[in-house]
Amino acid sequence: MDRRVSTHIIRIVPLSLLFIVLVLPLMLLLFQWLTDTDRTVLLSFTDQKTLLLIGKSLWMSFTAALLATCIGTICGFLLYKLKIPYSGFYKLALLLPLLISPYIFAVAWKDGLFWLLGNSAAVYSEAGVITVHAFVFFPLAMLITGSALSQVHAGYEEAGLMVVSVRRMVLKIIFPLIRPALTTSFLLILIFSLSDFSVPAFFGVRTFTTEIFTQFSALYDFPMAIGQSVLLLLVCLLLMLTEHRYLSDAPFFSVSTKGSVSKKYNVQKRQMLWHGIFWLLLIVVLLIPVFILTVQSLTGKTLFFARAWELVWPAAVQSVKLAVAGALLTTVIGLWVAYEKERRAHQFPNVLLLLTFIVPSTVLGIALIRYYNLPLLNFIYGTSLILLIIYVGKFGFITSRIIGNNIKQIPVSLGEAASVIGIPSKRIFLKILLPLMIPSLFTAFVLSFILCLGELGATVMVYPPGMELMPVKTFTISANAPQALTSSMTLINMGLTMLLILLFFIIGKWVFKKYQYA
Amino acid sequence: MPEITLEHITHHYGDKEVLKDFSFSFVQGKTTCLLGPSGCGKTTVLRLISGLETPVSGIVKIDGATVSKNGEIAVPPHKRNIGFVFQDLSLWPHFTVYDNIAFGLKEKRERNIKEKVSDILDLFGISDKAQKYPHQLSGGQKQMVAIARSLVLQPQVLLMDEPLANIDTHLKEDILGHLKTVQKQQLFAMLYVTHDHKEAFHTGDHILVMNAGKIEAAGTKEEICNSTSNYVKSFLKF
Repeated sequence: MDRRVSTHIIRIVPLSLLFIVLVLPLMLLLFQWLTDTDRTVLLSFTDQKTLLLIGKSLWMSFTAALLATCIGTICGFLLYKLKIPYSGFYKLALLLPLLISPYIFAVAWKDGLFWLLGNSAAVYSEAGVITVHAFVFFPLAMLITGSALSQVHAGYEEAGLMVVSVRRMVLKIIFPLIRPALTTSFLLILIFSLSDFSVPAFFGVRTFTTEIFTQFSALYDFPMAIGQSVLLLLVCLLLMLTEHRYLSDAPFFSVSTKGSVSKKYNVQKRQMLWHGIFWLLLIVVLLIPVFILTVQSLTGKTLFFARAWELVWPAAVQSVKLAVAGALLTTVIGLWVAYEKERRAHQFPNVLLLLTFIVPSTVLGIALIRYYNLPLLNFIYGTSLILLIIYVGKFGFITSRIIGNNIKQIPVSLGEAASVIGIPSKRIFLKILLPLMIPSLFTAFVLSFILCLGELGATVMVYPPGMELMPVKTFTISANAPQALTSSMTLINMGLTMLLILLFFIIGKWVFKKYQYA
Repeated sequence: MPEITLEHITHHYGDKEVLKDFSFSFVQGKTTCLLGPSGCGKTTVLRLISGLETPVSGIVKIDGATVSKNGEIAVPPHKRNIGFVFQDLSLWPHFTVYDNIAFGLKEKRERNIKEKVSDILDLFGISDKAQKYPHQLSGGQKQMVAIARSLVLQPQVLLMDEPLANIDTHLKEDILGHLKTVQKQQLFAMLYVTHDHKEAFHTGDHILVMNAGKIEAAGTKEEICNSTSNYVKSFLKF
């Protein structure tokens, strides 16, 4: 076969598969909505209640995104621009809230508020959801702005320092240069917050995602659920289109092969202040939730740990197995999409993954149910394959960007040097590019694994019968079980997640030491 | 005219000592070239004078006033009235040529900013590039903008860290010609770092030959050529 034809096939087959398996369900959802004869769905768009609810969801997410971006940017600046002892520890510790599923913090903070205020309406308030979202997502802003700050060339800052004070230089030189990172952080957190189902669901606050879930799973009003899903989908698409240029290159975790080019500032004075700020933040975002869950688990006449362990353990085993499969798949697909974008200037697969990434989990869940719920496709719908598809849709973009940012930093000339001495392109990929990408592949796998492990929004809608998964188990039991049991289960989930993070951290240290060449 | 004095400066980056008990006073209103191989501490001298680094030990004085001493900074860089042209030029990528040059004037709340920027752009013959961004300029144009950005603030000292490396001789002479014209008008001292002795002899009124953080020889072109130091002879390939 002609080489060019085979190259085209290699490119087209996976792209078509990605489109048919993941994107077509969303398009069909839109098509179904457009051609539906039931106009009540369309009319619901102008319904005051629906508009108020989407307005409420938007302002809650906007506030959470603003708060998280501010906290994350301040932390990013302090940790990446100032020479603070133990900054490596703070970076890792402050990252944990992002790696632990949001519902765990939702349960903890709800317990805490319940403990403080009793069964008052304040417990079920929007403020709780906004606070948890801000605390959970600020590490994303910290990572993205921190990575951007590390890339600001020291020369720009020093040239600025020759004419203005440090404060003015930060304001006039550094912040304008990292504006894309600030915009990306804000938009990503806005989309994450708007799409999240678990936190408002645990707090009992009505948002658009919980409403769609209620319409679909409780009231069985499918046309209404589809109509609302489309509305939310359109809002997210609009957000994506406004800053598509920045979002499509979102850095997430930057696994750099180059050292930082940025200037770091000595701050021998006020050391106590910086440490105080970080410890305060760690106490609020991490230690208080753990403390609350522990206290709540120990409250009451019966200790629920044993019962919680019985319930969680089988689900944990299944969750870990599925998360490993999901992470492997998303990493492989992420690698292919990243390579297509960065080395072959083929943007389309990246755009497809970006599209499915910004679609809220509940909307993706509904789209997949409508598409795959056919006897012919039961081998997907009735098995864990449906969950793997969701994982690729939700997290494939993240893995592709982590790997893509790494590929961008590998000089093209390394491959060209091999090419001129007659090494075939497949060997160049396997022997030159791939070994240099191992740290980013590992990072992509770990992040994807953690995200798959905690995914709730779409999983709760599509998980096949007989399958027990950690977040779903906790969510379903929380409706009727005593609070102490839910807290015990959540604490066990949190402990297991932390243990896995620690394990990956140890492996990661070895991987980075062995395979980071610069 | 201001005097710049470095007294018993020792400085290191981590474990690597780059300056060892370095003392020198720079000649006023003239061009002094710091000549030496890569890594001998030339750039560090400029960074210490500018205040971008503070010496681990020793004193930096400008006009008799201590500006840095033993790891402590007394006068921050922007208050030293010093211009610095970096090796990589470091033009701010989000500013146009006009904004790059006007930024310092605006921040210092100077008057007649437009006129001052326009004059310096005219002097370097790049008025038509005022609204361009750095990435839209050629290498030589970028170098002129970087020098104009420093000169527009009328510094008492101009520090140049090999800014004319990697450009052709004709353009280099053209830029140096512009620079000399402004120097005659504004009478600033210029410290020019280079590793090329031909460039140093062409540009400098005084030359300081450095090796491994120490001064090997100092003087005029003739004095350097007649130096008895084996290192200087070897470096100049006599």
